[in-house]
Amino acid sequence: MAVPVFTLQLNHKLLPGRITIGKYDGSHSCLTAATTADKVLIHSPHRRLGSASQISGATTWSQVNKEISLLSVNRNVSAICAGRLHPELEQDILVVGTPSSVLAYNVENNKDIFYKEVVDGANVIVVGNLSGYEYPLALVGGNCSIQGFDYKGNDPYWTVSGDNVRSLALLDYDLDGENELIVGSDDFDLRVFKEDVMVGETSETEVATILAPLRGSKMAYALANGTVGVYNKLHRVWRVKSKNRAVSVLSYDIDGDGVEELVTGWSNGKVDARNSRTGEVVFKDNFNSSIAGLADGDYRLEGRSQLICCSVDGEVRGYDPSRLGTLMEGNVHQDAVRELLQKKQALLMELKNYESNTRSSGVQQSMNAGMIPAKTSLQTTVSINLGSKPKGVPHVELCLATNNETIIRAVLVFAEGIFAGETHVVHPRDEELTSTLKVELLPPRDVPLDIHIKALVGLPRTEQFHVFELTRHLPRFSMYTLTSVSEPLLDELPTNFVSFNISERVQRVILWINQNFLLSSELEPEAGGGSLSLSFIALRDGSPLNISMHSAGRVVISTSSMTLAGDLVQSLASFLNLSNLQVTAEFPDELAHLGEWLEKVSNLQEVRIQLGADLAHRAGLVRNLIVRAEDARLLPDLSSMREWHSQLREVNDDLINSYNIRCSNHNELLEILKQINLTIQKAARLRVGQNKADVVNLSRSALQNNNLHSLLKIVRTGEA
Amino acid sequence: MDPVFSALSLYKKRKFEECVTTCTELLDKNPFDQAVWVLKMRALTEQLYVDDLEAEEEGIAEAFMDNETIAESARPGTSLKNPGTSQGGSTQGYRPWTQTGRPVSGVVRPGTQTARPGTMEQALRTPRTSKTARPSTSQSARTIRLGTASMLSEPGGPFIQLSRINLGNYASKPALAKPLFLYILYHENSIRHALQLAVLATQACEFKDWWWKVQLGKCYFALGLMREAEQQFRSALRQHQCIETFLRLGRVYIRLDQPLSALDVCRTGLEYFPKETTLLTEIARIFEGLNNMTMSVKYYREIVTEDSTNVEAIACIGMHHFYTDQPEMALRFYRRLLQMGLYNAELFNNLGLCCFYAQQYDMTLSCFQHALSLAKDDDVADIWYNIGLIAIGVGDTRLAGQCLRLAISADSTHAPAYNNLGVLELRRGRVNEASAFFQAAASLAPYLFEPYFNHSSLSHKMGDLQASYIVIQKALEAYPNHVPSQELLRALEKHFTFI
Repeated sequence: MAVPVFTLQLNHKLLPGRITIGKYDGSHSCLTAATTADKVLIHSPHRRLGSASQISGATTWSQVNKEISLLSVNRNVSAICAGRLHPELEQDILVVGTPSSVLAYNVENNKDIFYKEVVDGANVIVVGNLSGYEYPLALVGGNCSIQGFDYKGNDPYWTVSGDNVRSLALLDYDLDGENELIVGSDDFDLRVFKEDVMVGETSETEVATILAPLRGSKMAYALANGTVGVYNKLHRVWRVKSKNRAVSVLSYDIDGDGVEELVTGWSNGKVDARNSRTGEVVFKDNFNSSIAGLADGDYRLEGRSQLICCSVDGEVRGYDPSRLGTLMEGNVHQDAVRELLQKKQALLMELKNYESNTRSSGVQQSMNAGMIPAKTSLQTTVSINLGSKPKGVPHVELCLATNNETIIRAVLVFAEGIFAGETHVVHPRDEELTSTLKVELLPPRDVPLDIHIKALVGLPRTEQFHVFELTRHLPRFSMYTLTSVSEPLLDELPTNFVSFNISERVQRVILWINQNFLLSSELEPEAGGGSLSLSFIALRDGSPLNISMHSAGRVVISTSSMTLAGDLVQSLASFLNLSNLQVTAEFPDELAHLGEWLEKVSNLQEVRIQLGADLAHRAGLVRNLIVRAEDARLLPDLSSMREWHSQLREVNDDLINSYNIRCSNHNELLEILKQINLTIQKAARLRVGQNKADVVNLSRSALQNNNLHSLLKIVRTGEA
Repeated sequence: MDPVFSALSLYKKRKFEECVTTCTELLDKNPFDQAVWVLKMRALTEQLYVDDLEAEEEGIAEAFMDNETIAESARPGTSLKNPGTSQGGSTQGYRPWTQTGRPVSGVVRPGTQTARPGTMEQALRTPRTSKTARPSTSQSARTIRLGTASMLSEPGGPFIQLSRINLGNYASKPALAKPLFLYILYHENSIRHALQLAVLATQACEFKDWWWKVQLGKCYFALGLMREAEQQFRSALRQHQCIETFLRLGRVYIRLDQPLSALDVCRTGLEYFPKETTLLTEIARIFEGLNNMTMSVKYYREIVTEDSTNVEAIACIGMHHFYTDQPEMALRFYRRLLQMGLYNAELFNNLGLCCFYAQQYDMTLSCFQHALSLAKDDDVADIWYNIGLIAIGVGDTRLAGQCLRLAISADSTHAPAYNNLGVLELRRGRVNEASAFFQAAASLAPYLFEPYFNHSSLSHKMGDLQASYIVIQKALEAYPNHVPSQELLRALEKHFTFI
């Protein structure tokens, strides 16, 4: 437990995760948080400390402007961030996101910088410089899209992501002195964008809800399942998992050693700081209620920043390294002693085991000692099972077998993202124990996987088992089974396909197929180069997939799923180290949808304006009636007051009805816009490098002009 | 003469009623004559057109039920809500405040009457005095009282049945759509239908006509959808810079209580239209609202150099000089107004006061005589009050008392008159009457600090320390920097601590 350097009570309920700190007058830090009453609270401690009564004729200052001032947003605040958005002002600008708009606001001067409607919503906002852009941007992550606004309210940055954006971070990922954008989205992916080109991608086991930059290219992340960890570039340095959820993650040098620690605020009210290299806890404290957020800023005007923690009840505590240094000292010693004692205990146990083993082996070959023949080995095969049984589903089968009479008691399979909870345990009943065991694997997504297997192997009727640990690699496209190899059909083209030209030999492509598909036997490249055509069947839904390549380097991938085609293109491109690839795509079904959606959007927009006007009109009526009713009340005219109120009730009911209609209209619109964004993203994934970024940008302008024809062309050819 | 031509000529001569009759006859003969139809629409619209920018006023309902404003307690000088807090502004000490909690302005505008009292009850009670009637909502505001035929029944049914008209048909024909829109907005005052038409029309011209965007913005503004209005005006300004659009965008920010943004907008407008007086007036008004009189007068002066007959600017500058102890300067400005042909009670009243303070006593009373002869019911009270003030100034308490009583008989809610009467009674030693007058004044005008202070110091002298303490706090609430009040409070507190 640490002693805070200050505590205070804001007396407002705060929303978790929506806390920021800004220097709105250019020098004093103000804690800023979203409250549950749809307001933004700004706490300015310096107003109490002085400077209030210096100006003559302004004593009302102390009455009107106390430490806490509130901003009415009147909509649910979904994201909040303060930062230097205006390149010429030495002040921080507050950017507030709601489900339908973004507001950049100059707190000091009570001035809007800009106000923008964003139909995709604003789930998360970060403010900062992004490589390739002249002015600082406020990057807004919404449903499947990321928009960057500059201080003029223009949006020079726009890109689509695979799913709803949950977290954003600006980080110098490739250490070139300029920030790249890291995006965490609902499809569990982390993507790195340099300008609008994606330069890195990795997959997590859950939605990354928080991303925070650490020093250098390191980045902290937190997942929805309670995992917190650190990435260096896209390599995980360490991670820990808790049953609570992390609400806020921040880098702050709490022990004063010059290296930032990773401070995490948890949903159960715990705050802890961990060493960013090892994950070791160096500091912790507990709040009575869930943490709302963390921030660091100079809150006591003493020239260095403190760590500020807020709970949802409005309790604020500040910590700084000065008091912590001595405090944690004692703990460190105690910890060290405890750790050493634990090690000693473990070693003693081990020694004891060895002793008993040697004794038993000397006296008799005991069954229950868990000895197994020395040559025992565990063989694993990964194959595709098409599910011949009536109930069986086609799946990837992991088959474990021992080479002698020993049995497999149980298997622990650990793989990310396949099973709920990451680990799967198979332990057959006693009478079914054999020397082989099959584990069903159903990877939900096409990602390369490392499966860590722990098998308990022993002789029958033994009580102790040997643990075999091994790791198998599951290729990326393991859920597709090869059905036939034939010569490519030159004439007829399938309805859904992508085609592109690569200047590579067929052998290289075969190599790629061997690596990325689960084949019963490796494909042998034909002697004369020639061409290639392979047919696969997807295990998930039984749809066909054909990959063919002509000797001239023309590759045709035919599948009905745009996502799969995109995955294949990306995988092939990274295998062949292609920097750019332009692709022709034909997905008539998806494109037909696109047309439908666009039309629907314009219809919905039209209705939306109507409904909005209707709503405003009724709201005007309500206001009028309230004033009249109030008027009647003041003039004790009860009969007309009664009349006004009954009218008011009717109008109010109408108002609620039309609100509900508008609400469903809005949700529908959101859903469709999401689908459109997704389609653009899929179309972009069919291309590589600059062509990929082009698709996004061109689609954007096509969408803005509502030009369906050009949008379809872009999706098809990648060019406008 | 061709009847269509004569109708057109009547329209140009602004003889709208006759124009309408001619058009009606023509339409009876040929109901499908679009030209005549449009002409009739134009004539009907022009008949009722009001300058909705000048007449714009925030209703009671908007003031209390809409909180579009972002900052609830903005930094002083950045909000119109708490003007008293700005730096360097005038205080109640030497420039009286109106009911609305603002320093009196040179001219009365709808906006200057917009108070922001604490509760709706207070706001509803205030307009009970006949002079400060405020609309309950801005949709039902002056536009209805000044214009709009929607309340009059027309012979033979309305000209256009809005519920039956197919707006989509007209939206694609700009020549018809624009007059129709103005007709719906100004004549029928049906914002919903107007908005519907504007939406369809702006789509029909592929969002390329800035005029429709401005009209959309107007509709949104009237409906209270400030953010939507802001977007439309901004988008219109990108296409075409127009003074009206700048003004309207500025109004949006004023409604959002962001005066600095509004000033920015007006200044941008001035870049396109240098020295444009309407924009300068808007800036001057905003500064006045912020209680930054120096800046306000600076802009009013700029207006006068451009337009030497601008009544508002001259009156405001005159007012400023008067309250900064330069009655001679003020006199010159008011005389200028007189030269321009302005001939009303208010002006003579001001002239009388200026003459008095500039020590031209011979002119003073004749000015007030003129004022009284010109006065209508609602300013008689003020004029008697001012004569009373002069009587006090020359030491004629008897005349003063009579004048003040006359003021009260003309307007029984004239709080300053009650206050002054109280002071007069006090001088005569009639303490109970004085106290009653002070209390009456305070209950009528809680925004004045003088009755509170007088009442409190009276109670203090009478030994009723508790009452004195309570009342002086109210005085300080109304005017926190009033030094005598502060001293009295300090003395009382000291006294209480001794006990």
